[in-house]
Amino acid sequence: MIALLIDEFVGTAWSVAIAILPLAFLFLLFQIFLLKLPRRQVKDLLIGVVIAALGLFLFLFGIGIGFLPFGRAVGKALSEIEHVWLVVLVAVLLGFVTTWGEPAVRILAEQVENTSSGSIPSRMLLFAVCAGVAVWVGLGMLRIVFAIPLLYLLVPGYLLAIVLLWLSDRDFVAIAADAGGVATGPLANSFLLALALGAAGAIGGENIVVEGFGFIALIALAPIISVMMLGVAIRLKTRQPE
Amino acid sequence: MLALLRDKLLEVSKTVAPLIVAVCVLQFTIVHAPAALFIQFLVGAVIATIGMVLLFAGVDLGILPMGRYIGAELPRKGSLSLILAVAFALGFATTVAEPDVLVLATQVDQVSQHRIAGPVVLYVVATGLAVLTALAMGRIIFGWSMRAMLTAVFALVLVLAVLAPADFIPIAFDAGSATTGVLAAPVIIALAIGLSSVLQGRSAVSDGFGLLGFASAGAIIAILLMGILLS
Repeated sequence: MIALLIDEFVGTAWSVAIAILPLAFLFLLFQIFLLKLPRRQVKDLLIGVVIAALGLFLFLFGIGIGFLPFGRAVGKALSEIEHVWLVVLVAVLLGFVTTWGEPAVRILAEQVENTSSGSIPSRMLLFAVCAGVAVWVGLGMLRIVFAIPLLYLLVPGYLLAIVLLWLSDRDFVAIAADAGGVATGPLANSFLLALALGAAGAIGGENIVVEGFGFIALIALAPIISVMMLGVAIRLKTRQPE
Repeated sequence: MLALLRDKLLEVSKTVAPLIVAVCVLQFTIVHAPAALFIQFLVGAVIATIGMVLLFAGVDLGILPMGRYIGAELPRKGSLSLILAVAFALGFATTVAEPDVLVLATQVDQVSQHRIAGPVVLYVVATGLAVLTALAMGRIIFGWSMRAMLTAVFALVLVLAVLAPADFIPIAFDAGSATTGVLAAPVIIALAIGLSSVLQGRSAVSDGFGLLGFASAGAIIAILLMGILLS
């Protein structure tokens, strides 16, 4: 137990270090050759980076010791349930609340609210992203249960995304592109992935790890579609005369 | 500082509360995991919550302003080649920095029957990502149409996904998500916002966002191409 904790501790510390160092290095290069900010400001920025690194470490460590093992337990329990509708319902629920808790989704939503001077509230965007992931996590579970090829979901999904691109409000197209990247954070990768792996393991047959990765593909596609749908709705609404 | 942490604590509580409540409900209804595992989850949740408070505070204080400064400085002093060089450097930095990419490399090694070594995967993914990041930066500078570019990128992803060997598809999409980590995402978002804020006649939102999406599509395209070339 202790040895496992130490392993987790060292592993997490290492991954945070290699995530933060290239960014800090790039900034220092800029600072020395181009930016030349006052020393005090650089100090404040670097303190912020250290706090973020410490925070990321604790976050990933907490996920590693708590969320990951429990996610596996949930996946296993789900695989023993006979009713498909219940499995899908739990998957949809977890899809929503996991994305709601994903840090990068929150950061994107706040940046959008700030940049748009409040005209796109972060809450609205959060709901769109979370609802999108919830729906597609449900579809992903159905796919695993009924052994539907991944392409049958991905191809229509991307075609829909291309159509929505041209119908949606311009701002939302840009936001949607970013939203696809942030929804697949550490929480989704531990919790939702464990769910998919549990279900895939119960069905048996195909390569379980590959099934799990396919799940992540759907989670990345989901917010692209749902955020652009929000953009279509907003465009229609604003077009109407007063 | 304390006021900031208090604000963040409030925000984070609202962020993680639904997940923790949902897990508790599931535990007592269908999961029934051993008590030790459940307590382990609760302890992990407390640590992760404290971590997220610090992470958000640090992102506000350090990561976001850092990205914005770099982005705003680029068009002022930099030539086009410098901007593209930074895009490449960022692409590589974010790819190499993601621990998930190593796991991914092992996966590719397996499905390709050991024909592709891990480091090769890393460079292929990094190159794909860097190329599209540079293109996306070029879009902000020259004002190319976001719709046309995204259509081209999505269509390319679609065509390649249909042509690529089935084993490569899930891995390719996973590569797309593995390259946009919790720290890389705010830096790239802030960089694009900074860049578009100093260029004239740019919309803050439609030009400030989207870079991240192109970057992860670059990783997907790279892996799919590699799969097609190998088969």
